[in-house]
Amino acid sequence: MNSSSASLVLAGHLAVLSSVSFGGFPTVLPDVHSFAVARGWMTDQEFANFFAVSQVTPGPNMILMMSFIGLKVGGIPGAIASALATFGPPCAMYYLSYRLWDRFRDMPWQRIARSGLVPLTIGLVIAGGYVMARSSAVGWQSVAITAAAAAAMLGTRLNPPWILAAGGALGGLGFL
Amino acid sequence: MLEKRERNSFADRVPLRELFIGFLKVSLCGFGGGLVWARRVVVEQKQWMDEQEFAETLTLCQLMPGPNIVGITVCVGTKMRGGVGAIGAVAGFILLPWTIGLAVGGVVLQHAEIAMLQNILGGLSAAAAGLLIGTGLRLLMPHRRRRTALLFAGLAFIGMAFTGLPLPIVLIVLAPVSIAAVGLERARA
Repeated sequence: MNSSSASLVLAGHLAVLSSVSFGGFPTVLPDVHSFAVARGWMTDQEFANFFAVSQVTPGPNMILMMSFIGLKVGGIPGAIASALATFGPPCAMYYLSYRLWDRFRDMPWQRIARSGLVPLTIGLVIAGGYVMARSSAVGWQSVAITAAAAAAMLGTRLNPPWILAAGGALGGLGFL
Repeated sequence: MLEKRERNSFADRVPLRELFIGFLKVSLCGFGGGLVWARRVVVEQKQWMDEQEFAETLTLCQLMPGPNIVGITVCVGTKMRGGVGAIGAVAGFILLPWTIGLAVGGVVLQHAEIAMLQNILGGLSAAAAGLLIGTGLRLLMPHRRRRTALLFAGLAFIGMAFTGLPLPIVLIVLAPVSIAAVGLERARA
């Protein structure tokens, strides 16, 4: 298979996945992994590295990760096709559903639905932080960094990048 | 109807440039998940939405497929300037950061084996997790006196963090119950 048809196969697959990625793109990572590695497009190690680097790069992490895969498969055109396939279909859906949601904003049933749904969202955000903390915990030191960052976010108006930089610096200095 | 018109005339005053730059900022500052910065820019700095509306929009985005932060970007852009606003906001969020990320990331990936780099990544991800927890707790503050809200936030937390169930399942089970609880509360009040 030449690189441009491989790019198209990858982009087509990503477009389908992005349309069903309820719960965010990380939920479809296992699928992308088996799809790309089974075809011999990249090794396990390369896939893991793409993930690590995209997680600490500012910006659209998952779009970037899919673009690293596209870059490996088909160069710059492959990277662009992967990016479009990852964010295009969801964007169209977000737009249409927000329009609908906004049109019925003042209906009493929607107010009730909103007040019922908000606490769930908040619980899920905290759970996301907790799951990330659990997967990056290598001992009491990393738990301490997580707790300190949460406290700083909650109790101070310190800019998040400073809090992150402090965490990265502690890691780099061998605190972990 | 009147309220709608007022909202639109206010929205007309937000230039596309500002949406582009606002979400460029969300994107560039959003190490380890953009949610922290999305809330900070949209709610605190630009006041395009209040705390409540932001949380509601996030819920809508979590019910839809795709990257949630891109969803927030589309919704805020649409609210302020319609379809053009959505495109402007998404362009701000993706265009520059994606180009820089692909270039810099490509170079870093060629040196991924260095131990020092691994340690820094570890510290960064621990701090990023803490920021996410802190952001969630901040969103919870306005609801801290509503006992049912605290209960359902707790249930959603447990459902996602400890049961290993996929998100759609957690939402399908909890959402109707939570909405019904609010409906009952309103009916009684």
